[in-house]
Parts: sequence; structure tokens; C-alpha cells
Amino acid sequence: MTRRRQALTAWLFLTPAVLFFALLFFLPIGNQLLTGLYDSDGVSFVGFGNFTRAFGDPEVLHSFLITLVYAAGTLVVGTAAGLGLAVILNQALPGRTLFRSVLLIPYLTSVSIVGLLWRNILDPQVGILNRLLEAAGLPGQTWLSTHPLATIVGITVWSGAGYTMVLFLAGLQGIPGLYYEAARIDGAGPWRRFFAITLPLLTPTTLFVSIIGLISTLQQFALPYIVTGGGPGNATSLYAHRLFIVAFNDNDFGYASALSVLLLLVVLTLSLVQLRIGDRANA
Amino acid sequence: MPPIARRSFLQLGLGVTVLGAVGTGCSPATPAAKKQDPRTFTIYWNAGHGYQAYKEVIDQFGKDHDLQMNWQKFQWPDLTTKLTADFRSGNVPDLVEEVSAGTGTQYGLAGNVLALDEFASADKAFGFPGDFLDQAVVARQYEGKTYSIPLHLTANGLLFYNKAMLSAAGFDKPPSNWDEFLEVAKATTKDKVSGCSLNSDPSYAAPYYNQQKVDFSDAGAKQFMMPADGALRSLQWMQDLIFTHKVSPAPVATTDYSGPQKLFSAKRAAMFVSGPWDIGPIRQGSPDIDLGLAVPLTGAVQSAAMAGSGLMIPAKARDPKLSWELITKLAAVKVELAATKEAGMSMPRKSWAADPAVAADPSLGTIAKALAVVAKQDVALSASGKAAQVNELWKKAYQQMVIQHAPVEQTLADFRKQAGAAL
Repeated sequence: MTRRRQALTAWLFLTPAVLFFALLFFLPIGNQLLTGLYDSDGVSFVGFGNFTRAFGDPEVLHSFLITLVYAAGTLVVGTAAGLGLAVILNQALPGRTLFRSVLLIPYLTSVSIVGLLWRNILDPQVGILNRLLEAAGLPGQTWLSTHPLATIVGITVWSGAGYTMVLFLAGLQGIPGLYYEAARIDGAGPWRRFFAITLPLLTPTTLFVSIIGLISTLQQFALPYIVTGGGPGNATSLYAHRLFIVAFNDNDFGYASALSVLLLLVVLTLSLVQLRIGDRANA
Repeated sequence: MPPIARRSFLQLGLGVTVLGAVGTGCSPATPAAKKQDPRTFTIYWNAGHGYQAYKEVIDQFGKDHDLQMNWQKFQWPDLTTKLTADFRSGNVPDLVEEVSAGTGTQYGLAGNVLALDEFASADKAFGFPGDFLDQAVVARQYEGKTYSIPLHLTANGLLFYNKAMLSAAGFDKPPSNWDEFLEVAKATTKDKVSGCSLNSDPSYAAPYYNQQKVDFSDAGAKQFMMPADGALRSLQWMQDLIFTHKVSPAPVATTDYSGPQKLFSAKRAAMFVSGPWDIGPIRQGSPDIDLGLAVPLTGAVQSAAMAGSGLMIPAKARDPKLSWELITKLAAVKVELAATKEAGMSMPRKSWAADPAVAADPSLGTIAKALAVVAKQDVALSASGKAAQVNELWKKAYQQMVIQHAPVEQTLADFRKQAGAAL
């Protein structure tokens, strides 16, 4: 087969995927970019006015800041929780398959159900959590009012820890047992083995978990929308929620499109930085 | 016929795919309005208003016109979101329930819903506007055009109270002013019961600031929550109920406005301020509660906030005449009476108010008294097209004050500044 024919065959097989992405991703992104260049009436061309406006909009800056806090909190706690669960359930424990399955259920549950579930559990007056705390003689919580963002982080971690655990389990099972055996013979304890073998060899998995987690947390919309409606005040009005308000409440689709393009750029930049860091770590 | 070689087959598939893709790519970026099935009639409705009385009318309308009736029910925020998306795509329903007076005006001035005056003037038997209470009509008009027809007319500001709890605390009648309200709330607060319960939804603050003669907006003058001393007094009083007197729990920020009603139904609150829409859930969910319903409180004045949905026809509705016909059937007085009997909802027609069944009902009598003291609405705010944006700013400010205990004076000042800038 000639080189030209090989290339043609490769393109032939790639074409459906290329078309899929072009039509369902790149074309809408281009359309979004174009819409972002127009005023809320969709007619008046404002150039990059909507983009520069975002940098002076206190509501947008606030939402971006709390989204970064939310993303950082979720990534750190979620990764630690997923890794911890994976390490525990990688041991030969009785019923570990059942535990793995149970821990994956929140991830498989619709985010709407998760949101409604936790909203009802955490309700200070009629929620089940305060009933349980009360029965145990403990003071009731009002976390949705006092620590709303941390509560949303907690719900996200609860919902996603099972999935992170599965990814880390796959990574753990790819580490040859030989390394641990050699380390044990050399007198390395469990912590030493974890930090010297497990953690470094899980770097690709950790990187993958971080990138996927970052992308999804920066785009989080459903949980604050369902659990707190972005409140109290604007305490949980994450960037995507703010974007939704601009589009569907303020009816300013030009500005909302500009905000979504800016979010895309941020996600893209942070993902590239993470990949670069990962490359250096692997080098 | 010779067999097609695998390579030829793949080449053929590629060609078809590319042609299809190019065709799709050349289509307009804004999707064209999707053609609806001409025999389907789509209605957007509030999920809490799906009364049997309306269902019967809609079903009969479908039979009469050989139409498939697609009655879609949403929570208000979801209905608004869907409608906004529909207006942009051009694929609109045939009839929509309007969340509150003024929303139709906002959509109408943007060219998204029809002015209904011509339909109404050509249909004398319907009795619009003559048979409708003025406040429900005026709030839906701008520069001589009416963009929606009132469906319900209610007042937010009714005092719901648990007769047994008040009686046990030594009160044989409900409070009538702010001082009495606080006194009763303090006396009924004990153990797990709160004397009252405030709402996280900012629209529920309206009766309180209206009772201090405060107007939410004067869009012409770009002023909000004025006069300032009355606004400060009312919001400070609400905040004090929670954080100083501790007679109300801090509301929880959610998209659900039924928190106080649920607390009341669970016998965890002795009083709350709301509208007729909460009568049904309490009577049905907690029939053992001896529910008392009282007229709005008096602060500097006695006042309530007007509420109640309407009906509007999207400008791109398939057959507006057909939509109008359904409006006349849904807003007919006999249907109003049936909905009142079913759900206790109050209605905008004068002939409804004059009906003996309505006049004899003590709860409806209380609602009628509340309707007599509703505060005037600022139609210019709806006409500005910025009402939703300003309301979102108010939601933030209100929740900061009553949930997060933010300083009232400063928060109100910030809100005025932001709302003025939004206009």
C-alpha cells in the first residue's frame, strides 16, 4: 500500500469523528464566539466589548473567584477521598466488591436527584440530619446558610468520590506487586511504600483525575442551582450559574456568550498547564 | 450486478457523509423555527395551578377543535427559562401562563407576545376589561396596550396562624399590627416551635415594606426601595425577628418558596405571611391544624402585595385566534368559581366576587379585604425590560439581610446603586 493510500485510509476512518466534533462542538463554539460580539439585542455589533465588560463586572469576578475556590476545594478533597477509598478497597477485604459498587451509586445518580436529596437532608428545620443530631443530643446545623459553598463542595465530593475511586483502583492494579515486595524486603513500612511507590506511579491517574475534575468543577451549574439557587445572596452563584442568570434572567445572550467563551479559554489554559506539569513529572 | 468492494463502499459512505455534513454546515447558525404538528396545541402552565377545573376546559377544547392538547407544567423559574429559549428559537407554545402582572408587558414590548386589546374589544361577551378588577388590569397595561389577561388575582400579605397555638399562649385573636405580631411571636416561640417563619423568596418581603409605605421601584426616577427610612425600618424589623428576637428561623436559600408553609404544616411555626396559594396545601396536608386566616398587618399602613398569574399569547403562536378562544374559556366566571371551589384560589372578575358562594366564604372574604389594600405596582419597571435583572439583585440583597445577617442600611444602599445602574 502506498503512503498516499495509507493516509487516505486513515482519513477515511477519522472523518466521522472529525465531522462529529466539527458539527457538534466547533461549529457551536464558533457561533458562540460570534454571538459574543453582539449586544443583547443580537443586532448591534460591539466587537470585544462584552469580553472586556466581564473584567469590570463585580458579579462575574465574584462568581469566578468562588468557582476557583469551589474547584480547588473539590479537587483536593475529592482526589484525597477517592485515593483513600481506592487504597482501602484495593486490599483483600471481605465484601470489597459490594463496597465498591455502593460507593459508585452516588456518581450514577442524576445530579438533580443528588441536589434534591441533600437539600432535604440539610434543611435545618425539617431535614433528617438535624433530627439525627437532635436525637444524639448534638446542636443542629445550618450549613446551607452559614457555610453554603463548603456544603456544595461536600455534596460534589460525596457524589464524585466513587468515580475517582474507580479510576485510582485501575491505576493501583496496574502497579506491579514486585515493587512492593522489594520495598518490603528492604524494610519499607506502609507509609514509605505509599509515598515512594504508590503515589509516584499513580501520577498519570492523578493527572487524569485532576484534569477531568477541573473541567467539570469549573462548569458546575446544576448543584448550586438546585440546592441553593445560587444563594444565600450570591454565595454559591458559581460562574456557570452567573452565566445562566445573564442569559435567561437578564436576557443578554451576547454577554452570556462572551462569558462562556472566556470560561472555555480558562479551562483550556488550566488543562494545558496541568498537562505540562504532568509531562515534567513524567520526564 | 458486480459486488461492491469494501474500499468502494467506504468511499461511497465518506462521500455521503461529507455531503450531508456540508449541507448541515451551510444551514443558518440560528435554528429555524421547528414546525409544530398543526393538530397539536401547546400550553405552558405553572405546576401548582394544574386544577381539574382547567383540565376539563382544556380537554373539551381539544375535542371541540380536534386538537392534541399538549399541557406542559413547570415550576415558574423553569417556565421562564424555557420560554426565553423558545422566543429565541421561534418555536413557541400556543398559550402561556404569565408568572405575574408585568411579565407579559416586558415580553410584549420586546415583540414576543401579542397585545390582546383587539381580541378583547371584538369579543364583548368576554367582558374585558369591564368585568375585571382594575388593579389586575392596569398592572398589565402599558401605553394603552394590554399584553395579558388576568387569570388569578391574589394578595401576598395574609396572616396564616395556628389557632390552637395562639390560644395556648393566651391570645384569642390574631395580631393586627407589628407590635402585636411580635408579642404573639415571642409568646408562641418555645422548644422546637417558632413564633413565625420568614421566606427566603424576596417577593415575600413586599407586604412588610409596603406596610411602611415603601415602593419597590420608581423606574422613571430610577429609585428603589424608597423612602429610605421606611425601607430600613421594615427590613431591619424582619432581620430582628430572626437574629434579635429569635422568633423566626433564618430561611434557607433555595428555589422553593414553600418553606414557611411546610414549617407551619409540621406545627413548627405558629404564624407566617403568605397568599391564598398556601391554603390548599395546609388544609390537605395537615387537616388537624385549626387554620386561622387574617387580614394583612398594619405597620404605618395596612397593605399587601398584589400577586396572581395571567394568560398571554406568544407573537409567533400558530393560530392566535384559537389561543384567544381558549383564554376566554379558561377565564370564564364559571371556571373561576370551579377553581375557587377546588383550590381556594381568588380570581380577578367582579362577577366572581359578587357570586353568593364567594361572598359567603369567610376565607375569601379575608382575601377580598387584602385585595382592597394591595400596593400599586410600577408598570414602568416591567416596561424597562430590566425587571428580572433588578429582581435578581433584590434577591441577593434580601437574602444577605435575612439569612446572612448583613447590615441592612448598607445592603439597601448597595442594592439601590446596583439597581439604578441596571436601569
